[in-house]
Amino acid sequence: MKIITINPDICVGCGNCEYACANEQKGNFDIKNSWIRVNFYPADRVCIPWNCAQCEDAWCMRVCPAGAISRDPKTGAVLIDEGLCAGCKMCMLACPYGSIHFDLEAAVSRKCDLCGGDPQCVRACLSGALQFVEVDRAYEFRRRQFDNVLRAMPGIAKQDGEER
Amino acid sequence: MRLVVIGNSAAALAAVEAFRQIDKDSSMTMISKERGPAYSRVLLPYVLRHKVKPENIFIRDVSFYRSLNIDLHCEEEVVEVNVEKAFVGTRSGRRFPYDRLLVATGSDPVRPLVEGMEGEGVFSLWTRDDLEGLLPLFEKKGSVLVVGSGFVSLQAAWSALASGLSVTLAVRSQRLMRRVISEEAGCLLRDKILQAGVDLRLGVSIERIERLEGGRLRVFLKGTDPFEVDFVIVAIGVCPNTAFLEGTGIQIDEGILVDHRMKTSVEGIYAAGDVAQGPTAFGEERAVHAIWPTAEEQGRVAGTNLAGVELAYSGSLNMNVTQMFSVTVASMGIFEEREGIESHSLSTEAGFIRVLYRGDVPVGGVVVGSSEDVALLGHLRPFIRKHRPCPQDLSELRKFFAMDLVGTIRREHLALPRGRLSIPKEGSR
Ligand SMILES: Cc1cc2nc3c(=O)[nH]c(=O)nc-3n(C[C@H](O)[C@H](O)[C@H](O)COP(=O)(O)OP(=O)(O)OC[C@H]3O[C@@H](n4cnc5c(N)ncnc54)[C@H](O)[C@@H]3O)c2cc1C
Ligand code: SF4
Repeated sequence: MKIITINPDICVGCGNCEYACANEQKGNFDIKNSWIRVNFYPADRVCIPWNCAQCEDAWCMRVCPAGAISRDPKTGAVLIDEGLCAGCKMCMLACPYGSIHFDLEAAVSRKCDLCGGDPQCVRACLSGALQFVEVDRAYEFRRRQFDNVLRAMPGIAKQDGEER
Repeated sequence: MRLVVIGNSAAALAAVEAFRQIDKDSSMTMISKERGPAYSRVLLPYVLRHKVKPENIFIRDVSFYRSLNIDLHCEEEVVEVNVEKAFVGTRSGRRFPYDRLLVATGSDPVRPLVEGMEGEGVFSLWTRDDLEGLLPLFEKKGSVLVVGSGFVSLQAAWSALASGLSVTLAVRSQRLMRRVISEEAGCLLRDKILQAGVDLRLGVSIERIERLEGGRLRVFLKGTDPFEVDFVIVAIGVCPNTAFLEGTGIQIDEGILVDHRMKTSVEGIYAAGDVAQGPTAFGEERAVHAIWPTAEEQGRVAGTNLAGVELAYSGSLNMNVTQMFSVTVASMGIFEEREGIESHSLSTEAGFIRVLYRGDVPVGGVVVGSSEDVALLGHLRPFIRKHRPCPQDLSELRKFFAMDLVGTIRREHLALPRGRLSIPKEGSR
């Protein structure tokens, strides 16, 4: 299974991902139809892309009183079935990250569905801040990185018996 | 072990699912006084206004009960619990022995004690039966009197209006949804209701209902001339379903009193959902938070503990959201100022955002306006729950939450460097 990884340090705030998402989801370039959003604060030199993390224990899925949210067994994405969604917005209140958006036209909630396994935001990302990678690989990378940071700490290095 | 669950809705379902994940062998019996597989009460108003198809109110099908090896008994009303002999007795005379018991019976609506309240033409909006009675009347597009000022009555009034009925709304107090939203939000909603064309009567109580020939009703409200309507929907409040627990010694206040593990005062008996009065996120007095998410959470905690794995509930946090009369209204936690609690607000295009603080720690909020503002309350929830401070200048809030996401990104989204992912070698950085 693959996940979208986000690196805010690399993001240049071009907004390509938002356009790509809106185009894929709704067939236009209106970024209110984009389920990925770049939090862009140029004065503070901050740009943070954010998209649904497809949480393992997704609270939106559990609180939905319509049983409209489920997990795609193929991609692992948390999906909202628009035929079942009542538009009650409970999931918007439940999501701690603001990853669920309301589609005023259809009066249903919407969110990232990983484009069925080929996320267009990642394809459109020109800086490489967004990547779509195998979970195992991403975690292994992080584990190594973390491990190496620990090793670099004096106290821990000594326990290993290394001279520093 | 034999687990018996009374109820077949949000709390009961979450409990049996959590239980079965841990305990694959024990027998599970569910007893419900209603028909068929589980459905969602929340959806009833949405069906009335044709947003949700009637067949889509079901949230589980028969295969669900089979796959979890649940023995489901519908249309069996529990009338007694015998603690000494450890069995549950139903109105039809059946007995279900238990080793552990979960009470997830929710609540039922109450009606004012006035002449003509019971009988033809007067409905609640609570069950599938109510829905089936109301649907043909909504088709006829006549006139309706809705009684009550709460969430359910306003949902009923909005559904009726949206379906083209002429609607009179009679409210005893001067305030709308007082248990769910702040006074100022209530006022805004009141204006929207009036603008939408509802005949809103505040500060009136219903005195009598008279049945006329042909099925119409003549209603008498205190201090006004009687008038005729096709039918009446009453939603003035609810009463927890606990009558069958009489004589068990289980402590009941506003609901069944439960601890952090959803245990009642009697060994082996647990309660969850609308029927339970449990710990809250603020560590104050126990409260009944009669909402779907709390029922789900409490059910899961109960199911886990019933299966023998200890899990403590961090307490319920009330949250409500609704879009009706062309405005979105949402609230969370403490939504009105009181001693030691200050609030800050921000006007928005469509209304306002108000956040309440104890010192610099948020304790709740109210939103009137657009959908994206609702998501802001969602962001606030972990801060309320974990007592984490956040800025009081609300125009800074969005940026603050965005910055806070960076930590989450490192945790959940695993920020990776540019280019092909090459895993660093041991010892290198
Ligand atoms: C019209 C309407 C709209 C709502 N909208 C919202 C909303 O937008 N958001 C929200 O959070 N909440 C909403 N709610 C509230 C929400 O539906 C409840 O909080 C939720 O259903 C509680 O779940 P529960 O499992 O505790 O109880 P219930 O759903 O009430 O279920 C109780 C179960 O116990 C069974 N039962 C009861 N007594 C007995 C007995 N003696 N013997 C056998 N079985 C029995 C019943 O048949 C049922 O299966 C709404 C409710 C209504 C009626
Ligand atoms: S808005 Fe739709 S998906 Fe979200 S909780 Fe409500 S019914 Fe479920």
